[in-house]
Amino acid sequence: MEVYKHNKSREWFDRACKVIPSGVYGHLGPAEGNFIPVSKWPLLGERAQGSYFWDVDGNRFIDYMCAYGPNILGYNDPDVDAAALEQAKLGNCFTSPSYKMVELAELMVDTVKSADWAFFAKNGNDVTTAAVMAARAHTHKKKIIFVNGFYHGISPWTQKVDYPGVVPEDVANNLYVDWNDIAALEDLIAQNEGEIAAFISTPYMHGNYLDNSLPAPGYWQKVRELCTKKGIVLIVDDVRAGFRLSTEGSDAFYGFEADLITFCKAIANGWNVSCLCGKEFIKSAVSSLSYTGSYWMSAIPFAAGVANINKMRALNLPEILREKALKVTGGLKKAAEENGFDLVVSGEPALFYLRVANDDSLMLHQEWVAECVQRGVFLTSHHNHFLNYTLSDEDIALTLEVADEAFKVVAKGHPEIFA
Amino acid sequence: MLDQKTLAYINMYAILGALENLCDLDPEARALLTNKKRIRLAFSVKGGPKATLTFLNGRVQLQPGVRESDIKIPVSSCEKFNGVVNGTVTPVPVKGFQHIGFLLKDFDALTKLLEKYLRPGEEELADPVFFERSTTLMLYVIASALSQIGDYDEIGRFSAHLIPDGDVSFSIKNGPAATIHVKDHVLSTEKKRPEKPRAIMEFESLELARALFDGKVNALACIGNGSIEMRGMVNMIDNLNRILDRVALYLA
Repeated sequence: MEVYKHNKSREWFDRACKVIPSGVYGHLGPAEGNFIPVSKWPLLGERAQGSYFWDVDGNRFIDYMCAYGPNILGYNDPDVDAAALEQAKLGNCFTSPSYKMVELAELMVDTVKSADWAFFAKNGNDVTTAAVMAARAHTHKKKIIFVNGFYHGISPWTQKVDYPGVVPEDVANNLYVDWNDIAALEDLIAQNEGEIAAFISTPYMHGNYLDNSLPAPGYWQKVRELCTKKGIVLIVDDVRAGFRLSTEGSDAFYGFEADLITFCKAIANGWNVSCLCGKEFIKSAVSSLSYTGSYWMSAIPFAAGVANINKMRALNLPEILREKALKVTGGLKKAAEENGFDLVVSGEPALFYLRVANDDSLMLHQEWVAECVQRGVFLTSHHNHFLNYTLSDEDIALTLEVADEAFKVVAKGHPEIFA
Repeated sequence: MLDQKTLAYINMYAILGALENLCDLDPEARALLTNKKRIRLAFSVKGGPKATLTFLNGRVQLQPGVRESDIKIPVSSCEKFNGVVNGTVTPVPVKGFQHIGFLLKDFDALTKLLEKYLRPGEEELADPVFFERSTTLMLYVIASALSQIGDYDEIGRFSAHLIPDGDVSFSIKNGPAATIHVKDHVLSTEKKRPEKPRAIMEFESLELARALFDGKVNALACIGNGSIEMRGMVNMIDNLNRILDRVALYLA
């Protein structure tokens, strides 16, 4: 099997480092993206189509990260892109917001079970911040409960006290509780009685570097009950999982209703828009916020969003993604077993998380992932994966073939595992 | 903001602790202690670190706690101890006046030599032997300071509470290495390569390490170009890096 080279990636990255801090920053870059070892990974891309992207060296990858979520129907979906291009002819960012915003808001309200209204921005962080501000505006309280292992964006309030550029005052009102620990949540609420504006959490624990954890039976119902009883706004951050578990929202998937729920990645299949949805009682608080952005009402992503959501609903996409994911993860586990490896699969299937568990350091896992990437299957070693609609049975078969060879390469380099 | 207690622990275990390595690396330092009677020098800092330095046969060993000593120097506060280390406060021993010559001569010469390596000029660094010794000592000082900050500095403790148990290897390729042990979110440093690390952060060369220590290159860019290798439990390294950010603050 061909092993990829990344000479042009390296050249482009070196150019990037001269003019961009750290070359490629953030989750798509080699540091946060855990490109281990970096020599085996593509650094800059050229194009994408369906389930694939091609790097600047012309290497094709079956993409199991889907741009970390935005690609849900397949890159360049013809229906979504046709709607976007049609809107582009009419205009994108102009003084009077396009009626497409209203169409998308109506569609979100019709689609998301807990939504009475929709508020649009650009990135997930925009709407998690809006949610927290709205909760504070509504309750006139300041503290926010986070679940340990959280990620809700990049604003200072979402970060930790030891992060560069964050000062203790930025996170002074953040409280922390472990996932699935109702007793600890009750204690925390009691210790901060009358001071808590909101509880914010992803629908299940999809933190990095650890097996993802689903809600315990009754967990969300108990959280809902506690929040209602104590006047705490319940925020579900569905930026990552939204539309991959259910088109109705991940709160509906787990049988409860959030007060506020945030979406971003999968709304418009890569066209940039995020959305905060919520209950009627907190709509006025959102109206009161001084909160907007230059591009938040641009029309192309709204048109793309309408087309994308309609298509996802028509396809019953979450069910399709689940079936595809189970084929992938079942095949990967089998390939692992046949080569003497213990591959742990966790989280919801459409956002599966992988870990080779033969050592306790992730080093074997990182080696295996790198061997897969070098053969054209883009996995990651620290983060959950994402599926898209265009992933075909042929793609899955090739993925499993690559995974098998990658396991064999790692096994050959580590005879001690089988000693 | 600098916490004086944390700084005192850094001064004790990272700075004075580096005397151990100085004597291993530098023949001049070793010569100062060769063919001399054993001296045990104890520092007891009120509300801060307590440790004993043993000087014997060209070598130095730092052990935590005040053990049997030849010279004992009690210091009334962490601030005062930090002053002793940076030369603004004169230490007054309560025991061992007969060894005062050691303090004034040999110990003073050792610490001056150490300072030369830890705060070198460009000309000195042009000498490859000096460069290697200086960079090696810096690695040990930084690795030792990491643990003190993770254990005592308020924000460092926050970072440490997110680090799972295990050993992190902090090293220069084909060069010196240190282990950061993590157990129940308490950090400790051992100046040798771990046998079974859960995470590895390795600099490709002494030159790169020096440039990083001097703030001349960016660590994230180095990860991108492969001159810093990290692997294993990267969340351990990630949180250590946040502590590392504070090392620069304390050692500035």
